[in-house]
Amino acid sequence: MSLLTNELRAMIGTSVHYPAREALGRASIRYFAIAIDDDNPLYRDLAYAQAAGHADVIAPPTLICETCQSADRQPGKEGYFGHEWHLPVPNSRLIRAGNEYSFERPVQASDWISVTWTLERMTEKSSSRGGTQLFVESVARYTDSEGQLVATNRETLVIQPL
Amino acid sequence: MPDPAPSAAPELRPTLNPETLAPGAALPEWEHCFTEVDLMSYGAATWDWHRVHYDLEFARSRKLPGVMIDGQIYGAIFAKLATRWAGPGAFLSGMTLKMRSKAFAGDILRAEGEVSAVEPLEAAHRVVLAQRLVCGEQLIAEAVTTLRFGI
Repeated sequence: MSLLTNELRAMIGTSVHYPAREALGRASIRYFAIAIDDDNPLYRDLAYAQAAGHADVIAPPTLICETCQSADRQPGKEGYFGHEWHLPVPNSRLIRAGNEYSFERPVQASDWISVTWTLERMTEKSSSRGGTQLFVESVARYTDSEGQLVATNRETLVIQPL
Repeated sequence: MPDPAPSAAPELRPTLNPETLAPGAALPEWEHCFTEVDLMSYGAATWDWHRVHYDLEFARSRKLPGVMIDGQIYGAIFAKLATRWAGPGAFLSGMTLKMRSKAFAGDILRAEGEVSAVEPLEAAHRVVLAQRLVCGEQLIAEAVTTLRFGI
């Protein structure tokens, strides 16, 4: 049975924009750095960051590529409230296959980062466990308050039937 | 009231000289047991409250053996190790991250890697790293990470 229904095919090319709701902020950066046990002073010490040539403390590279900060809604029953496509594939689970990040410049605490997600491709492939699984490829483009690109995140998720 | 005396500028950690690097040069190894606290704090720091990262009953309902480590933390770990190794004068310009196996709370993950290329640019260098996270003999995630020096 094919997972890639016409309803899913019709969603390819869909885009959604999440505008920045506030500056990234020093607290968010410090919280993330603590969570990954990163003592890099570029993320916590303004004087150090300035000595290294930055106007403000900067963020660990992948922080802005996490998908939830831009969302502004209540969590669903699975607890999630970040960006998702709500693909109608019943009785399945979603697994991350990979991310391809490119960064144009360090992001600072004072940056307002907006993101636009585009659903680029869906491909059905056979699974090593038997059956088929659906590869979902999206791209997120992150821009600053001037509209300049600061990062791109090409993400591949896999939908596996249970 | 007079201005406070300017404090001395902090001393920066050293930045590697890319001209001293060659393909095959090993990155420092790193090992960590990912606890439920690690999963919870990363989820909180990234506003990701998905039950699969802390609710064992939910994880089992998805036919998973335990609460699952968020794959994006592997990118954060690879970036941390690459930038710590390179120093404050290097800029992480790209990373291709691939998840190879699922990992769960309680798993001990070890990071390893090496320089795979050093490419001179005009007034700069690009250094490419191959990084891996393993659990025992099992490959959990790998990355090709690009650093720019001398920007």
